[in-house]
Amino acid sequence: MGLNSKERFSFAKGYRGRTLFLMFDFALLGALMCMMVLPLIKVLVDSVDPTSYGVRLIPRVVDFSAYEMIVRNSTLYQPFLVSIYTTVVGTIFGLLVTTMGAYVLIQKDMPGHRLMGKLVLATMLFNGGLIPTYLTIKNLGLMNNMLAVIVPCSVGAYNTILMKSFFASIPGELFDSAAIDGCSPFGAFWRIMLPLSKPALASVGLFIAVGLWNEYMHFILYITDPEWQSFQVKVRSLILEDGLSGTSITLSQEMLKSATVVVVVVPFLLIYPFVQKYFTKGVTLGAVKG
Amino acid sequence: MPTLIKARAATEERIGLSTWQKVKKYRAFYVMFLPLLICLVVFSYLPMVGVLYAFTDYTPFKDPSFVGLANFKKLFSQAGFWQAFFNTLQISTLKLIFSMACSILLALMLDEIRCKWFKKLSQTILYIPHFMSWVVVASIFTMFLSPKNGLINGVIELFGGTPIYFLADENWWRPVFYVISCWKEIGWGTIIYMAALSTVDMEQHEAAIIDGATRLQRVIHLTLPSISGTIVTVFILNLAKVLNLFDPVWVLQNAMVINVSDVLETYVYRMGISGSQYGLSTAAGLFKSVISVVLVTVANKLSKKITGEEVL
Repeated sequence: MGLNSKERFSFAKGYRGRTLFLMFDFALLGALMCMMVLPLIKVLVDSVDPTSYGVRLIPRVVDFSAYEMIVRNSTLYQPFLVSIYTTVVGTIFGLLVTTMGAYVLIQKDMPGHRLMGKLVLATMLFNGGLIPTYLTIKNLGLMNNMLAVIVPCSVGAYNTILMKSFFASIPGELFDSAAIDGCSPFGAFWRIMLPLSKPALASVGLFIAVGLWNEYMHFILYITDPEWQSFQVKVRSLILEDGLSGTSITLSQEMLKSATVVVVVVPFLLIYPFVQKYFTKGVTLGAVKG
Repeated sequence: MPTLIKARAATEERIGLSTWQKVKKYRAFYVMFLPLLICLVVFSYLPMVGVLYAFTDYTPFKDPSFVGLANFKKLFSQAGFWQAFFNTLQISTLKLIFSMACSILLALMLDEIRCKWFKKLSQTILYIPHFMSWVVVASIFTMFLSPKNGLINGVIELFGGTPIYFLADENWWRPVFYVISCWKEIGWGTIIYMAALSTVDMEQHEAAIIDGATRLQRVIHLTLPSISGTIVTVFILNLAKVLNLFDPVWVLQNAMVINVSDVLETYVYRMGISGSQYGLSTAAGLFKSVISVVLVTVANKLSKKITGEEVL
């Protein structure tokens, strides 16, 4: 590209402005990166160093007692297990329902497929609002039922439309020939469509999983049973209240707070570098008009 | 095989399947759509009917009874409602403009970087905060900004200043809120612009260089117009959810700053869930939904006028 002919690190005349700009650009991005990781590093340091308050970013001592506490105290690890359960079950459920729905929506010849598409799209624009939804769930007897959290967080119009636009890019002849060979519609979906859509499944599945892992509002609305509270709710209540009820602790409260935050973030950070491309793909896929 | 399919399609067309026959042919597909339909009916359509509670007097101890517009009258006479209303408008508008402007600017800056590994590293790190829940973000910043032992106040004290309780100070809460929202979403917001920037027409740029256009001129007159369609799309999509402020506000607000931080959603939550005034809070929520729908419809129409294309 001829465009980059002026790209040279030099202060000679003609290059000076560009060089200064690039230096500024690198510095700005560097500073922004620091701003993104600084609070995280601080939390990590606070979680292992009981003396590290105020201005310090390198731990003076490394003490894992806060993590030990999380592993040993059932009021702390139980919510963690609930979060994992919700995320795993919800992601599978959400993917299944979403992809089946999307597969039906691309059947151009099917009577009513347009109306069904509109029914899905409308839920993106209109909703009953917080209280009517709460009352509906309550009146249906779904309070303290994990479905009240899993379904609304895993099945959504946006993901369905995203899947649909991906499915639409797969040549339909494949399914016609499968049908002639005697493949049932579900068989064609399961054995042809899903294996061909692995990247889209990864994108949508990861979005659903992260959403479920991070879910807070639906838990405080519908789950009143402390046995089934999620880790997000636990972290929140720890931050709000000083002192952990029911346990005598000698270790610093700040350490425990920081450690719970680390525990809730780390699972994601561990897989993130390997799956980053699926997230970015999902966003750009969503921008394509469905 | 394709000839066979064509032949079959031709036969079908000639015979002309009636709608009923088609329904029969596709019956398995209707069954496959059923789970999605049930989910949407229970969690989206039934609640939409529940909006009618706005016109009833309804509490846990009293079955709904029709009261007309009484709830709205009562609502409009409450100072807390108007406060939440105006706070919602201000917070959502500024948050939207601020974070979009920052993301576009950041995308342009990232686009100028030719050093591949640095660009990749920046993107990876800048996306991370998006994946943290608001609970976690609020927890991190509550500690980070704490007047007792937070890092920021530690630095302020180091330079001889007095610690500021950022999240409990009426003057500081909103600026801090905007900064934290920006911190969380600025990097993620760039993805879509970066994708649009990668499709910018290089020939035009080359022609502009020959005509002696500076880099800044090219950015303003070529690059920005070429991603303007994306900007409008993102704006409308963001507008649809701009009033959804529950999570960020709920986890960052506290009793000290309720006057500057209360928004319609948190107001509805406190009145409806904590206060059990179902009818009244549904009315307040309906108010929010109506604004939201109006905003999106207007923006969509505007987009059709400006770019000739509807987003939704």
